[in-house]
Amino acid sequence: MLQQAEPVSDSNGYAIETHGLTKKFNDLTAVDHIDLDVRRGEIYGFLGPNGAGKSTTIRMLCTLLRPTSGAATVAGFDIDHDANEVRKRIGLVSEKLIMYTRLTAEQNLNFFGKLYGIDEGELKAKIAELLDMVKLTPFKDRSVGGFSSGMRQRMNVIRALIHDPEIIFLDEPTTALDPQSTKFVRDTIRELKQEGHTIVLTTHIMEEADELSDRISIIDHGTLMATGTVAELKNTHSTESMLEVFLAVTGRELRDSASDHVSMKAVGRM
Amino acid sequence: MRTKTRRVSAWKVTVEIARRDLLDLWRAKMLLVFFIMMPLLFMTMFGFIYPPTVQVNPYSGQIPSPYPNLNLAIVQQDNGQIARNVEAQFIQIAQTQGIFRVKEVTDYSTARNGIVEGQLSGIVVIPNGFSDAIQANTQATIQLTVDQTNPSVAAAVQTEVAEIFGAIQSQISTQFLQQKLDPPVSSTFVLEPISITNTPLIQGVPTSFEYLAPSFMALTVITGALNGVSTAISREKEQGTMDGLLVAPIPRQSVILGKIVAQTARGLIQGFLILGLSILLFGVVIYGSPITMLLVMVLGVGSFIGVGIIMTTLAPEQETAQMMTALLQFPMMFLSGILFPINQLPVPVQYIGKAFPLYYAADALRKVVILNANIGIIMPDLLVLLAYSVVTMGIAVPIFNRAMSR
Repeated sequence: MLQQAEPVSDSNGYAIETHGLTKKFNDLTAVDHIDLDVRRGEIYGFLGPNGAGKSTTIRMLCTLLRPTSGAATVAGFDIDHDANEVRKRIGLVSEKLIMYTRLTAEQNLNFFGKLYGIDEGELKAKIAELLDMVKLTPFKDRSVGGFSSGMRQRMNVIRALIHDPEIIFLDEPTTALDPQSTKFVRDTIRELKQEGHTIVLTTHIMEEADELSDRISIIDHGTLMATGTVAELKNTHSTESMLEVFLAVTGRELRDSASDHVSMKAVGRM
Repeated sequence: MRTKTRRVSAWKVTVEIARRDLLDLWRAKMLLVFFIMMPLLFMTMFGFIYPPTVQVNPYSGQIPSPYPNLNLAIVQQDNGQIARNVEAQFIQIAQTQGIFRVKEVTDYSTARNGIVEGQLSGIVVIPNGFSDAIQANTQATIQLTVDQTNPSVAAAVQTEVAEIFGAIQSQISTQFLQQKLDPPVSSTFVLEPISITNTPLIQGVPTSFEYLAPSFMALTVITGALNGVSTAISREKEQGTMDGLLVAPIPRQSVILGKIVAQTARGLIQGFLILGLSILLFGVVIYGSPITMLLVMVLGVGSFIGVGIIMTTLAPEQETAQMMTALLQFPMMFLSGILFPINQLPVPVQYIGKAFPLYYAADALRKVVILNANIGIIMPDLLVLLAYSVVTMGIAVPIFNRAMSR
C-alpha cells in the first residue's frame, strides 16, 4: 500500500507536459489537442479570453476533470493513471474560495491538512507558519465567512500550500482584490518561485502576466495560439505592451459565451 | 523543510470529512435549533388536533368526550310525562359529565338557525308521540340533526347522543324487565348477555403523542438525512469547496461516505432529542430498548439517504434538488402512517405509502418504543429497510463517484 510511486519521466526538467490533451463536453470541444510544457521552477502565465479553455485545461491538470483524449504528466505522473500521485504534488488556488465559511481559519486549514495525511504536530506548526506568512494569525479563531475578500484570498492561497506542493496552480488569484492584497499575492507568488515551486498562473490582467511570468502561453478556441518568454512574444508582435500581444493573438472581438453548465454541474465547469 | 504527506486510509478520511460536516453544523446554531423545532411544532399541532382515543362503555357511567361541552339544542314536542323525564335525564347526564351544554328550544326551525349561525353543534328532537310509544311498549324515536359541515364534530355528537340515550334506555329496559319478568332475571343478562372488557397492552392511558413520537422520530431521521445529504453535497459543489476535497489525494468514495456518516450521526442525535422532548413535554412513556431504536434509525437513514444522493447528483443545482426532495417528503409524511394509521387510507393509496421505507421505520420504531418489541418481532421491517439501503446506496455511491470525476 505504501509503495513509493516513481515518476514516469523526470529526465527533461518539465513539471508539466501534455500531448494532444483534449476535453469535449457533448458537442463542444473546450480544449483541442493542446501540447504544452511547463519547466520546473518557472512561473508559467496561461492567458486567454473567457471561454478559451484555460480553466478546463487547469482542471484537467489538477485531476478535477478527465481528459477526453490525449495525455498529460504533472510532476512526472500521469494525470489519469496516477491521479493521486499528482494530487499529492499540486496545490490549487481556485477562482472560488475553497474554504468552509462557517469554520474558523484554523479549523479550515486543519481539515485540509488532515486530508493530506500530515502529522498532527507538523500540521500545527505548518498552519502557524502559513497564517503568520499572510499575517492572519490574529484572526485564526474567526469564521472565514467574516473575512474581507483580501483576507479570503490569502486564506485561499495558503490552503493550497499546506502540503508544500511542487506545483501550484493559481486561477485568477488577484481578480477583485484591492491594490494592497493584489501586491501581497503577487509578492507571495514571487517568493514561492524563489523557494523552488513551479507556478501556473492564469489571469486577465496583462500587467500581472507581464510582471510575473517567465513564459506565457495564449490559448483561444481550445487551441494554443502562442508560447514564449515575455520578451519573445513582444518581439514577435513588435510591441512593448502585453495587452497588444494578447489582442494581436486573440483578436479584438468581444467574447460572449453562455453555458448551460450551471454551477452545480460545474464540477465540470469550463 | 518539506512537509511529509502520507497516504491516509479511506476510513480516516471518511471520519475527517464527517467530523468537519458536523462541526460545520455545530457552528450554525440557529440552524440546529430549527432542526429540532420543526418536528416538535408538527408534533404539537397534530398531537392536539387528534382527539384522544377513547373506549366507550355505556354501562360504566362515564362517557369520555373528545370535544367537551359542545352546544346542543333539545326540542320537546311531546310534553308527556315520560318524554319530559327522558329530557331531564338527558340534560342531567350531558351537563354533569361535561359532554354537552344543552339549550331547551321551543321549535325546530329556531334550533336549525342556531346550527347555521354556528352556535349549535346539533339538535335533539323528542317528537310528538314519544311518551305514548313507550307507554304502549313500542319503540319510540328520537330525531337528531348534526352540523354536517364539520364531519368530525358531527361524528362525535352522533356518538355521544347515542351513548347518553344508551344509558337512558337501559334504565327503561331494566324497569320494564323488573316489572314483567317473573321470576326476575338479571337485566344486564337480557340487555347485554356478553360484555367486553379491555386488557391493556400497555399501562396508562395512551395519547396521540404515543403514536406520534416514534412516528416523528422516524420522519425526522429519514427526511433529515435526505435533505441533509442533499444540502451538504450541493453546498460544497456550489461554493467550490468540493474542488478542495477532490484535488486532495484521498480515496474518492470517502467524500460521499463522510457525508453519509455525518448525516447518520446527525439524524440519530435528532431522533433521540425528539424522543427526549416528547417524554419531557408530552409525557410520552417509552417501554423499548434504546439500542433497538438506534438500530431501526440507522437502517432508516440508510434506506433513504441514497435517494438524496441520487437526486442531488442528477439535479442541475441546489434549488432543483430541494424541490425534488420536498416532492418526496410530502407524500411520505401523509401516506406512510406518520400522522395517522395507514389503514385509514384507501387500499391503493396504502400501497403507495408502503412503498416508502419511512413506513417500515415508523412501524418498527412504534413497536419498539411503545410495545417494547424485540428485534425478532420487527425483523420484517428491518429486512425491508436493509433491502432499501443496499439497493439505493448501491446505485447512489457509484453515480456520485462518477459524477465527481467526469
